[in-house]
Amino acid sequence: MYVKKVAVVGAGTMGADICYTIATRGIPVVLRDVDDAQLARAQQHIQELFDGRVGSNKMTAMDAADRMGFITFSSRLEDLTGVSLAIEAVTEQMRVKEAVFRELDRTLAPLAIIVSNTSALSISHLAAVTGRPDRVAGMHFFYPAHMMKLVEVIAGDHSSDETITTVMRLAEEIRKIPVRVKECPGFVVNRVLMASMAEVLRFKEERGLAAAEIDQTITEAKVAPMGPFFLADALGLDVAYEVAQHLTQELGERFRPSQELKTLIAEGHLGMKTGRGFYSY
Amino acid sequence: MATETAWKVELLSRFQLATFLEAVRLLDEGIATAVDIDIAMRAGAGLAIGPFQWADKTGLDVIVHQLEKMEIAYGERFKPPASLMQKVARGQLGISTGQGYLAHHGSRTL
Repeated sequence: MYVKKVAVVGAGTMGADICYTIATRGIPVVLRDVDDAQLARAQQHIQELFDGRVGSNKMTAMDAADRMGFITFSSRLEDLTGVSLAIEAVTEQMRVKEAVFRELDRTLAPLAIIVSNTSALSISHLAAVTGRPDRVAGMHFFYPAHMMKLVEVIAGDHSSDETITTVMRLAEEIRKIPVRVKECPGFVVNRVLMASMAEVLRFKEERGLAAAEIDQTITEAKVAPMGPFFLADALGLDVAYEVAQHLTQELGERFRPSQELKTLIAEGHLGMKTGRGFYSY
Repeated sequence: MATETAWKVELLSRFQLATFLEAVRLLDEGIATAVDIDIAMRAGAGLAIGPFQWADKTGLDVIVHQLEKMEIAYGERFKPPASLMQKVARGQLGISTGQGYLAHHGSRTL
């Protein structure tokens, strides 16, 4: 299916970065949020991304203004008219996402596709709240979405081949690398990352080594671009813990988060956002 | 000095084997292909080399040997997966034999 106009729902950083990426390729995109202040912040963020491109001579000021013109910032449902594919990028809570999916299902044309940028929640569950489960899929971008190339394209129980093909093609059109993934907790990347992170957390606890020593060993050996403890701090220890708990329940003990992670969270140390986690900032 | 190196070797080994084992589980469950899992881990997690390319380069027989030692030391979670044992039994050891999790031709991965 030809995607002539896209909507991104949820104007947080992720939604704004996705919107910017789509507009950069000259595809009309509506960035929708119910909060006008959030939309204003997103608009400023996107403007800064374009200014950065112009500043580093990657784009002319004229092209940047032209691409910015492909974006409609809107809190009005009417502006979703003509949208053939909507990307939901709201907060990672099932109830909030369900409400967005219901609203999109009511508002968009019957053939329009609805995808979720969720990193953890069930695509099949979201599909089931719509009257078009065959036209629902996952489109999981990585943070920061305008830089990271990968998009996991997730088929739910009822996603049609045409839906998956359309989402794969859109991902390619916006210069991403799409990979086809079946639904499972954590999908591919987060599942593998969390498995190795849990193993390294266990190693740290057994040996009583410092996080920095371990991270440094891993980055120096060039087996990963950043160490697991730095990654956990960046992600937020509460988020990492929640994901680890979920994967432990669904997939087994190998994902169980260490006692040290629990202790840090209990002490209010959640990583970069609180100024302290495995490291101090 | 020697002990310092020893913990580093073990850390890297556990990190890479845990990464590889989870990738094998995804493949065995039919979640994604080996090629796609490698692409995802490079493009999405910034790994220099995908877990299957790493395994094929290391040698699947070598990995079985490492896993068996880890299983004794740390338990079930390092048990060599059946699909890995099968490949080794068939003589598919990775790049050295032209076939492992991926197909290789000379130094080129197909």
